[in-house]
Amino acid sequence: MTNLIAKSLSFSYGKESVLKDISLELKTGTLTALVGPNGAGKSTLLRLLQGQLIPHEGKIFLDEHPLGANRSQVSLMPQRSSINWNFPITTEGLVALGQVNAANKSCCKTEASLQRVGLIALAKKRLDSLSGGQQQRALLAKTLAQNASIFLLDEPCAALDPPSREQFLSIIRQLAEAGLTIFVSSHDWGQALNAYDKVITLDRTVLAFGTPEEVRSKLQSISSMGNHCCG
Amino acid sequence: MLEAFFTNWWVLPFLIALLVGMLCPATGAVLITHRRLLQANLISHAVVPGIVLALAIGVDPSLGGMLSGLVGALVAERLSSKSKGNNEGVINTVLAGTLGLGVLLIPLLGSLRVDLESILFGDLLAVGQADLIRSLLAATALLLLLKTSYQKLVYIGLDPEGAAASGLNVSSVRLALGFVTALVVVSSMAAVGVILVIGLLSAPALFGLNHAPSLHSAMVRSAGYGFLLTFIGFLLSIGFNLSPGPLIGVLCLLSLPFLREKSK
Repeated sequence: MTNLIAKSLSFSYGKESVLKDISLELKTGTLTALVGPNGAGKSTLLRLLQGQLIPHEGKIFLDEHPLGANRSQVSLMPQRSSINWNFPITTEGLVALGQVNAANKSCCKTEASLQRVGLIALAKKRLDSLSGGQQQRALLAKTLAQNASIFLLDEPCAALDPPSREQFLSIIRQLAEAGLTIFVSSHDWGQALNAYDKVITLDRTVLAFGTPEEVRSKLQSISSMGNHCCG
Repeated sequence: MLEAFFTNWWVLPFLIALLVGMLCPATGAVLITHRRLLQANLISHAVVPGIVLALAIGVDPSLGGMLSGLVGALVAERLSSKSKGNNEGVINTVLAGTLGLGVLLIPLLGSLRVDLESILFGDLLAVGQADLIRSLLAATALLLLLKTSYQKLVYIGLDPEGAAASGLNVSSVRLALGFVTALVVVSSMAAVGVILVIGLLSAPALFGLNHAPSLHSAMVRSAGYGFLLTFIGFLLSIGFNLSPGPLIGVLCLLSLPFLREKSK
């Protein structure tokens, strides 16, 4: 059981500052949403938290240990657009890739991950024959197959129809209840936020952090001061 | 009896055509899934100056071709990184430039006698044992790449960013794939020529990739389709006394309407 803690993170691409003074804590077994408009730095923050990018300022810890050597504890599910969905591979083949670098590879892990997302019956199906929602669940299963305890999901519900989105949210809700730490980036400011334990709103810096109700009321007070964050 | 069979004039060209006909599509299946076919096309043009230079200094042309093909790919890769998303323009410019350089080198090197047409479009009936060895070497290199890096090739083809994030060295795998591509292109010089090889890298692989459950299966299927295509091409070329390279290129084109749509 591990908590992910970020302290005063700043990051820029060249001279363009993307993230400034970000501090947050993801507690074990919580389902947290990261909400913000396009260009708010959501994907960059996830890549920092996974160790793909190094912050220019600030530090990231897993409990009291620096992220560096322990980054395998954090798994990132990429955006849909970064996957070559036409690649010749079955659902179980995709999920097994989650263990490419694992020291102890296990076929049970692949099967268990498929079971968790409800895709065991489609294990032998080719990836491009699945629906969009099933493909996202397959990608989630691959992320779960890594021996990690913290899972960062980059806009997993983008381009999903409402029933598929609800199904996906219900699966990650169950995963959080089973003790996994899940951090999900999203564009969705609507009722879907109620599915999360905590919400962080981001626009290059943290605007609000708390329960969905707390964040909504805080954003309304910011908005009434004339500062519209969500474009 | 076996000796008599191997002394027939058509046996060696036939064997090489079939070997290249399987090797190119198997490599093409990997290249298509990695979206590296344009790079392969670049390599197929960039081998020309190396082949010409190697012939001028009396070195095996496959060595020169392979080196200049790789150098062309690396130069394009380097220049593409500065072009901010316009890498197709850069690759095509390098492609044209390297081919132009190869053509210019022939008169510049004076007394050099090079049959440019056979380099570009193949001359299967003039092949020798060296061509067979080149094809076998290229096949060995491909098998070695698959043996050592199959899972990496799958991961990088499916999700290059994720593969890099999980610690795989994407650049080195791509370099190894470029090396194998250059070997395959050079080995197919005799059968279809370095220009027409792109047809054999593409068309049978498009069939092979359809409905294949894995990259491995797609490669085997692609090799099967390639075998069939070159077999028919070779027979037709003898029957109608036509050049096999261009004929195989045309057969690749004619096969495309038979490509079935993917069904969900």
